[in-house]
Amino acid sequence: MDAVRNGDLAKLGLLFERHHRALFDFLVRMTGSPSTAEDLVQDVFVRVLKYRGTWRGEGRFDTWLFRIARNARADYFRTRPPSAPIDDAAEYPSHSPLPGDLLARNRDVARLQRALMLLREDKRELILLARYRGMKLEAIADLLGIEVGAVKVRIHRAVKELRDIFLRLNESPSWKTTSSIGSCPTT
Amino acid sequence: MENDKLNRLLPDDVDPREADGLDATWRMLGAIDAPAPDSDRMRARLDTVLGAVEHAAPPASPRWFGRRDVDGGRYALQGLAAAAVLLVGIAIGRFVVPDTTRLPDSSSEIAAMRSEMRELREMVSLSLMQQQSASDRLKGVTWTGQLDRPSSEVISALVDALMHDPNVNVRLATIDALERFASRDDVRRAAIQAVDRQMSPLVQIALIDFLVKTNERQSAPTLRRLIEDPQVNDAVRSRAAWGLQQLG
Repeated sequence: MDAVRNGDLAKLGLLFERHHRALFDFLVRMTGSPSTAEDLVQDVFVRVLKYRGTWRGEGRFDTWLFRIARNARADYFRTRPPSAPIDDAAEYPSHSPLPGDLLARNRDVARLQRALMLLREDKRELILLARYRGMKLEAIADLLGIEVGAVKVRIHRAVKELRDIFLRLNESPSWKTTSSIGSCPTT
Repeated sequence: MENDKLNRLLPDDVDPREADGLDATWRMLGAIDAPAPDSDRMRARLDTVLGAVEHAAPPASPRWFGRRDVDGGRYALQGLAAAAVLLVGIAIGRFVVPDTTRLPDSSSEIAAMRSEMRELREMVSLSLMQQQSASDRLKGVTWTGQLDRPSSEVISALVDALMHDPNVNVRLATIDALERFASRDDVRRAAIQAVDRQMSPLVQIALIDFLVKTNERQSAPTLRRLIEDPQVNDAVRSRAAWGLQQLG
């Protein structure tokens, strides 16, 4: 990134190759829409190009990148309606029919996926960063601008709520929370 | 992965039995797949942006983007309209002298950055719409949907694409893109002209729907002409009759 900041724009391609998959994975899980995630990844790298002068070389580059990604996503949904629930969007490939235990397991996973999309955005984001991106607590704290202890408390609450939603979906598959998908601002 | 175990991410005072229950959910999260990105397409889009930057930059930069140099010609901005060149100049002028000293800290700076982002997006949309490849032009038309307040140059480019683009899919996408600007007289006039000139029945039908949706009564004479012209496709004539009825 130092090279890009100093004018070697060719290196942006290298940064793209290294980081676009992680960004896409985070954004597609946040939005539930591959096409939206693709647009947002594009937007992130355009912003990196545009704001390269603000990179100070302090801290981790991926934390800086995810900060840009969070802003890009927030800006994107500021002018658009929130995305549909993941299962309604039907953009994810469906799983092949599976026998016995595998099928039950598959249903549980699908239900958990739905529960994740029903979770409030700020909580979902926290889970995605910790679980799928494997971010350290310190990095998440830096990204969100809060203390490590607060990150732990929030992860606890987020997973607890996710589990509650998941269990309620198990009791009644048609149940949905009153909060709309993707509509709650991050804190 | 380092965070496979939830316990180490929780506060110390969480009940161990509760933590075990939550850990089961945490582990199951690992089974949720996400689709893989279309890396080639995304890279091509990024290359297009850099291609646009390259073309407006001073000739002192011989290489911009490593292994994709061979594709550079594909993204050349051939025949870029004068308005687009002006936008490129503005955008690059600001790229070349970025503020490297501090983060934006005032609302005016943030507003300026947003304005620059808008200019950059417009530049990309306009340059894509000038490409040889129909899929690139289609992307350009689609990109205009991301612009909050597109300039007159963008709307003119869309109207131009509607009237002259050789590809049916691009023209159809343009009709969708222009729906946002249906309150503008020039857009509605262009739609009336286009429905008369179009050779593609699909595009003609989409335009008739557009005119009905925007309640454009001035299109009535054109629709009548279509209905009465035996050379016009039957489906188009039938749609025109329906449209005329809708417009009263």
